[in-house]
Amino acid sequence: MRMTFVVNGLSRTLDAPPLARLLDILRGPLGLTGTKEGCGEGECGSCTVLLDGVPVNACLVVAGQCDGRKILTVEGLASKDALSDLQEAFVKEGGAQCGICTPGVLMAAHALLAANPQPGEGEIRESIAGNICRCTGYQRIVESIRNAAKEQATREPG
Amino acid sequence: MNPAELALYPFERPGTLAELCRTLSARAGRREKTVLLAGGTDWIVERRLAPAEDPNDLPLVLDVSRLPEMRGITVAKEVATIGAAATFLEIKSHAVLSRRVPVLTAMAREVGAVQIQARGTLGGNLAGASPAADGAAALMALDADVVLASIHGERRVPLTQFFTAYRTTRRAEDEVIVRVEFTLPRTGAHQVWRKVGTRAAQAISKVALAGVAEVERGRGVRSGFGMASVAPMTVSLPSVRALGLAPSLASVSDEELDAATRRDISPIDDLRSTAAYRAHVASALVKNFFRELRIAAGS
Amino acid sequence: MALVGRSVPRADGPAKVTGTARYVDDLTRPGVLLGATLRSPVARGRLRGIRRDPSFDWTGVTVVTAEDVPVNVVALIEEDQPVLASDDIRHAYEPIALVAAEDPVRLARALRALTPEIDPLPPILTIADALGRKTQIHGPDNIFATYRISKGDAAKAIAESAVRLTGTYRTHHQEQLYIEPQGMLAFWDARGAHLVGSLQCPFYVHKGVMRTFSLDDAHVDVTQAVTGGGFGGKEEYPTLLALHALLLAKKSGRPVKMIYDRQEDIEATTKRHPCEVTISSGCDREGNLSAVSVRIVMDGGAYVTLTPVVLSRGALHAAGAYRWEHVAIEAIAVATNTPPNGAFRGFGAPQTIWAIERHMDRIARELSADPLALREKNLLRVGDTTPTGQFLKESVGVQRCVEEARKASGWDRKRAALGPAAVARPVSAILRRPAPGGSASRKARGIGASVFLHGAGFTGSGERKLKGRVAIDMFRILKEKKPRFTIRTASTDIGQGTETVFRQIAAEALWVSMDRVDFATPSTATVPDSGPTVASRTVMIVGSILESAARDLFARIEQNRQDHGGSFDDAALRLIARDGTIVSEKTYETPADLVWDDATYRGDAYPVFGWGCDIAEVEVDLDTFETTVIGFWVAQDVGKAINPVLCKGQIEGGTLQAIGWALNEKMVIQDGKILNARMTNYVVPTSLDAPRFTTILVEDPYSKGPGGGAKGIGEAPMDGGAPAIAAAIEHATGIVRDDLPLLPEDLFAAGRTGP
Ligand SMILES: Cc1cc2nc3c(=O)[nH]c(=O)nc-3n(C[C@H](O)[C@H](O)[C@H](O)COP(=O)(O)OP(=O)(O)OC[C@H]3O[C@@H](n4cnc5c(N)ncnc54)[C@H](O)[C@@H]3O)c2cc1C
Ligand code: FES
Ligand code: FES
Repeated sequence: MRMTFVVNGLSRTLDAPPLARLLDILRGPLGLTGTKEGCGEGECGSCTVLLDGVPVNACLVVAGQCDGRKILTVEGLASKDALSDLQEAFVKEGGAQCGICTPGVLMAAHALLAANPQPGEGEIRESIAGNICRCTGYQRIVESIRNAAKEQATREPG
Repeated sequence: MNPAELALYPFERPGTLAELCRTLSARAGRREKTVLLAGGTDWIVERRLAPAEDPNDLPLVLDVSRLPEMRGITVAKEVATIGAAATFLEIKSHAVLSRRVPVLTAMAREVGAVQIQARGTLGGNLAGASPAADGAAALMALDADVVLASIHGERRVPLTQFFTAYRTTRRAEDEVIVRVEFTLPRTGAHQVWRKVGTRAAQAISKVALAGVAEVERGRGVRSGFGMASVAPMTVSLPSVRALGLAPSLASVSDEELDAATRRDISPIDDLRSTAAYRAHVASALVKNFFRELRIAAGS
Repeated sequence: MALVGRSVPRADGPAKVTGTARYVDDLTRPGVLLGATLRSPVARGRLRGIRRDPSFDWTGVTVVTAEDVPVNVVALIEEDQPVLASDDIRHAYEPIALVAAEDPVRLARALRALTPEIDPLPPILTIADALGRKTQIHGPDNIFATYRISKGDAAKAIAESAVRLTGTYRTHHQEQLYIEPQGMLAFWDARGAHLVGSLQCPFYVHKGVMRTFSLDDAHVDVTQAVTGGGFGGKEEYPTLLALHALLLAKKSGRPVKMIYDRQEDIEATTKRHPCEVTISSGCDREGNLSAVSVRIVMDGGAYVTLTPVVLSRGALHAAGAYRWEHVAIEAIAVATNTPPNGAFRGFGAPQTIWAIERHMDRIARELSADPLALREKNLLRVGDTTPTGQFLKESVGVQRCVEEARKASGWDRKRAALGPAAVARPVSAILRRPAPGGSASRKARGIGASVFLHGAGFTGSGERKLKGRVAIDMFRILKEKKPRFTIRTASTDIGQGTETVFRQIAAEALWVSMDRVDFATPSTATVPDSGPTVASRTVMIVGSILESAARDLFARIEQNRQDHGGSFDDAALRLIARDGTIVSEKTYETPADLVWDDATYRGDAYPVFGWGCDIAEVEVDLDTFETTVIGFWVAQDVGKAINPVLCKGQIEGGTLQAIGWALNEKMVIQDGKILNARMTNYVVPTSLDAPRFTTILVEDPYSKGPGGGAKGIGEAPMDGGAPAIAAAIEHATGIVRDDLPLLPEDLFAAGRTGP
């Protein structure tokens, strides 16, 4: 099936089996290996990408259902010359250890901050509850997201 | 099977409900297999566990996730209508529902985590007929109707009668769930969602209770329940419902509630929990519901 | 500017947050095939053969069986485990054959077209059956290893004590559940065998490949890809996976990539050893401990793997962080027909610390003493000796850990406010307690503590035998005005931050900025053998070798500067101009005063210990027995925190693994098969299950640690979490659990039967 996605702002058209997993399309033909597979069944969240701005598990989304839609992956977070506030905070605050859960966590957090620029700790924890991290105990991730929110607020007053 | 094998399956996206019904009917007539795909959060996961299918006889997969007739949530004249393709995320973000039907909002908020909420649909939840389906339990407490469509038109089945056995429903092969409807509980009705799962999020229930009750001068006038994971299918707790309509709620004893709960459920040991634990928790949740109800009703 | 002690940003952070870090599944090679494993469906049996479906089109499919394996052993401590089973099947999921094909669909079908033909035999599945020798599955007695430690006369001293108590404490399996499943990419070329994979210990794999393929050192190259977590699970297991991938690559003549799916990873790879510990103790009525006798039995699973070392560490921690004049410890590991157990963060210590800490609570209960005060009274101090007779010279920060945790958690206030110790409150009374007015939910709060120690570095003479090496190179890129440095070590970064912390140590010793120091990708072809990335030894041992190599280099440059003038950089460039790349390589020198006797198990078991105190506050729902951890305080003596943020990250992550082990994780094994090998039913904590941690770094420096006194920190956090949670639950509900886990169903069952 011929399909078109807007991936990280770029329109990409390709021929792919309609029931291929979005995860395999991203990692294979689109060459975006930043999105990870930890379980293949919606449990770990390491394959999280944003589909029309909403976090989904790319291992449970079939390509045919994404035709004509917008997809944002971890590769689309940084601008050409700078990390995003979130990415910066994760590097500084210990939000990433082994890093395998990080792309998925970043996408979930990105969606949170887009909808809710000043989230409380409970909201932060709820937004990443579908992202299992076995390294950090989550505290540094929560701190990273909180710091990114603060950083964003100082950047855009009001 | 290996998920990579999914790539071989044929797939179509019908543009209208009528077209979908025609395809369903034609294929059912020819005894060809068809799968309706909504969010895929059950079906794709189940493929991994299922044996591989004959590559020469694969089912046709029909996308129902974006059919206009199956989308959206409306509330009008005290009746809520939720499209079968509405996601848990849409349900939990719906302002009117969260005001008038917090039992549903609370349920949706506790399904999996945000990624699953964004994809999982009510239609998929009901059609799958898992005894652990949270949506089914909450809608049962609301006495919702399931509306099914086929080339013959629509028909409506009360959710309390929709499930017939473990993972089996009254839906015919050529039918699709289009929406659910229910009468809004009165403002101030007592509504509870309590899920006891394997962990705080991303959890399947060990026991979950949805309850909706209205009281007038000490007397129960609406009493709806749905309980997950305590029987081969979602149960509506008929004996407990009857106690919820007692002329004097204050006189319903814990012993009566225990006995009613015991009658209404048939829990088992499985990987998630034990029968004994489930029985205990089911009783406790029911008693807590009535205790809170009495406190709320000031009796 | 001082680098050590500062939370500099992670060096590998930018690659990880942008998705450019390359994990093994992100790598490929032209012509790569995908590999998969055919496994045994039964726990024990005899393999008669492997049937190939003749109707399947086998073209382009490579199949490898035991006959294709040159030397069919996995070279670990012993060589009892075959690379592929040839006749005996000793556990479910044991690898029997390998398949490779070009695409995943062909691969899945080819795997289904192979059927192992096995005559099943009755398996041994429990410790009791193994000890009872129901059938013989290993040696004459089903025993893998036995250790004994003794000091004084424990039996006599216990008999003479006023308070004698005995308890048995059990712990269950635990799956590492790193989020990146195991994976390996293998290929052969004129230079020999090449592997790139997700792994902790490149030289373990290297050794295994040399042995199985009879290759020499120079013809095997093992490179670590960015690794998505290990926790011990990628210590010994990757050797087996590497051999499998190499066998397929050899036979097919193509590169082969093998990536486990989650279920296969949980089923087939090593787990934490289940353990039973019986403790008898003697003390006086005031709670002064005198003697302890401990018997430990661990379930090793089907093959030896690292079991003896795990058992030994378990035994060496069994007396806990306390002063006992008399100690008798006996430790045994048995064989069963379950998947082999192996390395997992803590390495035997969490099992025995669970036991001794629950036993301390038993003593407190008996004496109606405050559990933390009882512990405090008996803490080891500088000048004491351990059960092996090790004299504690320095860096025993445990008293401060207890004080800090007690203060930060509000222990005294909460303990007083929440009521007396559980012993005074019968379980049934608590469970029947009515809900407070106006609410229907019945919840009970409690607070509990644990104290622990963790031997840092290899046990006994391990480091002396190993002689770990590290190199640092100094070189110049084109016409740059300053030299650059590269650290070469086999110590891998699996998330703990090796790359960052090593750069901090080296840059500080060289007086240069961190951006001038690189960390070479660990590859056996280019880095010296620093030993494995295990045993909380990376920073303390390997970091100290690095520090000394960097200091040597600094001294050479400084000498040149003094002799010939100019700046540090001038001197460095002069040296490079004269000699080319300057290599400073160092070998670990075990401190001369460390003495260990393997035969008697006496002496300095570890160069130094890390110490800690955990305090957990929980709320237990008295209707559903769900435990919510509402606060968690950890104070850990780390010697010196080289990077406090990374250090806290280690402590919090490890502690949450311990909490998960206690409250969520439970491996269900039936007939030797794992029934819940999926993330939906092997349940680990999410962000909403995790408590907010208060993490306090106590620094009581170790004189030989790098950066001014760092010691091992990675494993200790796994030791104290579970017993602190159990103690808090006991305080809240009166339910006393001596066995893990503490799932709601377990508490419910225990609450019904009472203590
Ligand atoms: C990680 C994870 C966590 C989860 N957590 C929860 C949870 O907490 N609570 C819970 O209840 N469930 C949970 N689920 C299960 C699942 O998400 C829900 O059941 C969801 O509602 C299924 O909807 P779907 O649209 O994804 O269904 P799909 O997978 O698309 O379909 C499921 C079945 O329903 C059929 N179907 C779909 N739509 C229709 C229709 N309109 N008419 C007729 N048949 C239809 C399909 O043919 C298929 O057989 C979880 C799943 C995962 C993977
Ligand atoms: S890989 Fe998609 S959720 Fe785990
Ligand atoms: S950083 Fe390793 S799993 Fe999250």
